[in-house]
Amino acid sequence: MTSSSAPSRKALSKIAQNRLQKELVEWQVNPPVGFKHKVTDNIQRWVIEVNGAPGTLYANETYQLQVDFPEHYPMEAPQVIFLPPAPLHPHIYSNGHICLDILYDSWSPAMTVSSICISILSMLSSSTTKQRPADNDRYVKNCKNGRSPKETRWWFHDDKV
Amino acid sequence: MADEEVIMEVQAVRAVYGDDCTVLNTYPPHLHVHIKPRTANVSSQQFVEAAIEIRANPQYPSDPPDINVIWSKGLDEERLKHLSASLHDKACELTSCLMLVALCEEAVERLSVMNHPHGNCPLCLYPLVTQVEQNESLPFMKLMSCFHCFHSECIIRWWKWLQLQNDSNGENSTGTVQSSASKTNQHDIMGNCPVCRKVFHDKDIEHAIKLAGSCSMQKDLAEEEACESASLLQWDLETSRQQKFETILQLQKESGGLIEARKDGVLFSGIVLPELVTDSRTIEQQGKDQAAVEDPESSGSSNRAHKTKQHQRFRQGPTEREPHGSSGGPPPSQRRNAGTGKYYRKTSRPRTQQWIKKEKP
Repeated sequence: MTSSSAPSRKALSKIAQNRLQKELVEWQVNPPVGFKHKVTDNIQRWVIEVNGAPGTLYANETYQLQVDFPEHYPMEAPQVIFLPPAPLHPHIYSNGHICLDILYDSWSPAMTVSSICISILSMLSSSTTKQRPADNDRYVKNCKNGRSPKETRWWFHDDKV
Repeated sequence: MADEEVIMEVQAVRAVYGDDCTVLNTYPPHLHVHIKPRTANVSSQQFVEAAIEIRANPQYPSDPPDINVIWSKGLDEERLKHLSASLHDKACELTSCLMLVALCEEAVERLSVMNHPHGNCPLCLYPLVTQVEQNESLPFMKLMSCFHCFHSECIIRWWKWLQLQNDSNGENSTGTVQSSASKTNQHDIMGNCPVCRKVFHDKDIEHAIKLAGSCSMQKDLAEEEACESASLLQWDLETSRQQKFETILQLQKESGGLIEARKDGVLFSGIVLPELVTDSRTIEQQGKDQAAVEDPESSGSSNRAHKTKQHQRFRQGPTEREPHGSSGGPPPSQRRNAGTGKYYRKTSRPRTQQWIKKEKP
């Protein structure tokens, strides 16, 4: 609390804490299909296991999402990335950053971790090719110093995948 | 003959529902009716609405018409089902009677009973209305355009957050809020409903913001949390009730005599009186009152002088002695007195809070 660390690491506000407690309880009662929350003692960082949906390119594959909550969640979007190895997908960079509008500009405080997970799984499921985004190398090089995807100015042009 | 009766009935529906009724066909009747719950035209108290389609065949009324709910706002699936079922039951019950108006009235009745928000606040995920203790639930409000409901506190917090983002970004780059003017001009600020992204204007949440008025937009959010725990905002209904009580109180003050001291209180020195009087006054007046009480006692004036002083004091406040003296019978006045005391207690809470709020900034 007293430490003056980077803004992104600020402790959760009381409102954020209450909201996350509520989401956690709801998750335990009714987890989204294909996801598993790996329990830690840190409510500010969730690690979630994703299982590719059956019948899609990612069937039988397991990935890990890392969700970091900012001080003013849910006013601010959480930071969501894939832990390495990130799935091969035209909207997922090799450093785990995900190009998905609801995580950035189109975030709404009415969304939840659960709804984010469903969106990501849907994004994976609708993919027709397993490949990196065209600008992967350039983007990843630019993000060298552990930059958050939330600092990226994203273009959302493709609504098919 | 029967046809004419049916045509007249359609005209009756049109007369009753006016613009809310669209007649697609007069015979056999085919209507769309926009149904709202009874809220005495207070739109902020309306949490649900629906449009129903009534479609009869040439055998109507011996064959009941088909009834469908075309669209609805604020109704969850369960209540929607209930509405459809009630309308269907009513239609069967009234078979071979002319039932168009009765069906619409049934829909109004159902919606009036179900006119409350449902489920959790989408922002904090806690219930909007708790079943157990209505008084304990937080004040809530709805967006006028889409009928999505939130705790007033939650939506205002988000609204302020958007302003803050907008201000700090300088240029409009958040995408969620579009403000063409500076932060002082709040009139063309719009937001998107967090649930359905439907655009709403600041007037949509104006009434909630007014209640939070003194919490400035630029206030640090952490600081704001502290003052929020006091739950400064009132539920719309509570507010309107307060206004009603305030008007009544004002009326009583003007007409005088309704907020009377107890009869036995007059006979004693007057210590009983100020308490009653204070109870029905604002805080600032309290000070005056106490001064007035101390005054006659410390001066040790004669009984007659004392009475005059009391008299003056009554004039200051809402109480008059004369009507009391002439009214003779204490029961009605006492009953009224108890009543207004109770009313006041309800209004006194927010007043105190407003007073505290003003101290803060």
